[in-house]
Amino acid sequence: MNYQKIITEILILAGISGVLATLIVVAKAILQNYGECVIDINGKRKVTVKGGGSLLTSLAEENIFVPSACGGKGSCGACKCVVTDGGGPVLPTEKPFFDAKELAANYRLACQVKVKNDIKIEIPEEIFNIRKFNGKVAKIEDFTYDIKGVTFDLISPKEIDFKAGQYVQLRSPKYGKVRESVTRAYSISSKPSLQNQIQLIIRRVPEGICTTWVHDFLKEGQEVEITGPYGDFFIRDTQADIIFVAGGSGKAPIKSMLEDLAEKGCNRKMSYFFGAKTTKDLYLTKYIESFCDVFPDFTYYPILSHPEPDDNWQGRTGWIMPYFPDALRDPKNTEAYLCGSPGMIAAVTKNLMELGIPEDKIYYDSFV
Amino acid sequence: MEISPWILFWASIFTSNILLTNFLGMCSYLSVSREVESSFGLGTAVFFVTTATTAINWAVYHLIIVPADIVYLQYIIFIIVIAAFVQLTEIIVERFSPVLYYSLGIFLPLITVNCAILGISLFMVIRDYSFIQSVGFGAGSGLGWLLAIMLLAGIRTRLKEKFIPTGLQGAGMSLLITGIMALAFMGFSGIVNVQ
Amino acid sequence: MKLSPTDKIIQDKMKPGILTANGFLGNDKRNFRDIIADDMKIVNSFDKSLEDIANRMQYLMEKSFLSYDSSIVVDKNYEVEYNSYRGVLLSPFPNAGRFGKATIKVTNLKNHMCVVWTPLHVHFIRDFGFFEGKGSKFRIEPEILYKAIFD
Repeated sequence: MNYQKIITEILILAGISGVLATLIVVAKAILQNYGECVIDINGKRKVTVKGGGSLLTSLAEENIFVPSACGGKGSCGACKCVVTDGGGPVLPTEKPFFDAKELAANYRLACQVKVKNDIKIEIPEEIFNIRKFNGKVAKIEDFTYDIKGVTFDLISPKEIDFKAGQYVQLRSPKYGKVRESVTRAYSISSKPSLQNQIQLIIRRVPEGICTTWVHDFLKEGQEVEITGPYGDFFIRDTQADIIFVAGGSGKAPIKSMLEDLAEKGCNRKMSYFFGAKTTKDLYLTKYIESFCDVFPDFTYYPILSHPEPDDNWQGRTGWIMPYFPDALRDPKNTEAYLCGSPGMIAAVTKNLMELGIPEDKIYYDSFV
Repeated sequence: MEISPWILFWASIFTSNILLTNFLGMCSYLSVSREVESSFGLGTAVFFVTTATTAINWAVYHLIIVPADIVYLQYIIFIIVIAAFVQLTEIIVERFSPVLYYSLGIFLPLITVNCAILGISLFMVIRDYSFIQSVGFGAGSGLGWLLAIMLLAGIRTRLKEKFIPTGLQGAGMSLLITGIMALAFMGFSGIVNVQ
Repeated sequence: MKLSPTDKIIQDKMKPGILTANGFLGNDKRNFRDIIADDMKIVNSFDKSLEDIANRMQYLMEKSFLSYDSSIVVDKNYEVEYNSYRGVLLSPFPNAGRFGKATIKVTNLKNHMCVVWTPLHVHFIRDFGFFEGKGSKFRIEPEILYKAIFD
């Protein structure tokens, strides 16, 4: 057994591997080093980032949070933005999310675009207001058998600046069988003036990842991560009459809007239609009814479609749409604010337009 | 062997095509040949890898393996060189053509286990080529592979809308076509014989 | 049936905790292709195709929007209860698009068959004949679905 020969041969093998590995490391250092890149945002603001990362993560590191529901994996399409220069060619992973018009207008997915050189982008101005917050659960209330109201104290940053009607993304951690942390959107149900605390109304989704965690695991005092505010659902500053239509957890943005208007003072005629099945689905009824004393002309219309006999329900029954005419005195001068599923929004919009409300005065916050 | 490197180069493309004559390098050939564009991209990457690795492996064989008398380790060493080189190719492709990088996906690193590439290095050893001959042989074989995959991609594109019996769809039809192409290329064999 | 590499990715997405809390496979030991194959044996004995079934589910769903998050009786025989939630659900199958979160409960007033589905299931059934694995909360038994929506 010539041990010297064996050792020499092993050393030669190791030497060859070592040389090749060094070559690869050097190549990576040279070719994957994109240096510093400047991202020009809306022609107004410039940030300098280390090249190589995706547009989404590079901006997030500069505290600019482009909305994303899938954490940058390219599966939700929420991070759409316009890249006018420097984004490279459109990748096959992006194409399914855009139609021909959007592609021609330079729409890209921020999570798929890699920042390799100076790049020019356009994003909605509201994004600059989006921040990542550390919060703590201050209170959890049971509103119905499947709806909880959760109030969070904001720790850092201490204050949030939002319009009534906007929503935030709450992050749920890995737990039980759930192997990934996800973020989910919930409307803010507290008033904007209460800047260091927000309340969310969270309805349990069957098989839902985040809502199951909130309902079964979240405890008072627990720390959470919240990003926001997002959304363009808010009350327009006019004197037109208002119709609100929102059931289930859709009450959240309406509650925020009503509290906000109560604080600022509002003389507009307002009606809120809340459709539900039985009394078990009603919540905060007395609270919303109390706004009748605050506003000169506010009516709350809780309408049950199938009240149980022992509910002793004395209010309106059936579906909500037949009651709309009761609230309309001047359709041309009425705004509608709807919150719910796309199907509901489409059906209600059609009905309101038939009653004379102009299409451009119907605003909605769609669940999808 | 006394063949001119230039002749070896042309022979490797036509009369002694590594894919159509030796039937090496079939897996990525069958999988990627759906589209002409990605076939061209993969073929070019393979050409780049075969040319470079044949040259490097010649140097490693004659300057390290033979003097150190570790010929029995040649398979491992050749594969290590090929693997490292494919890594380098990946880094280069990702840098200069992200679209190609994404459309090739898993097939770029799979070039490492493309038996055509190891086969070319081993043929170079068996047939005892000189350095220039090896480069000609490696480059020609790579181009021959590129030619074969482009041809199959073109034919498959044309067949897309045509009726193919269920049992023959996919790999079945591709292999039939490859066999017929191999027969066609045998028509070149009178020009020069290198193996 | 052995799963191809693309199918393995789909099978992984169906496991608990990835897209939904408990996944789409329940406690079924079969992979999703086998589940589809077994269920299709039953569906092929019906006089309606997967397309017909999905269209019928879509029809009942759309009629229920009028009731808005409540319940309504469609065509005098089908009680449809529709509950919607905020959020988007992705399909484990590639390039399928985004789906709203909602539960649609249909009770056939004549034969009292009751079935629950979500918008995702209309896509599962129409495009793949996938009724979810046994033991999954939203598993739909093909015969019960057929009797509930067509009788």
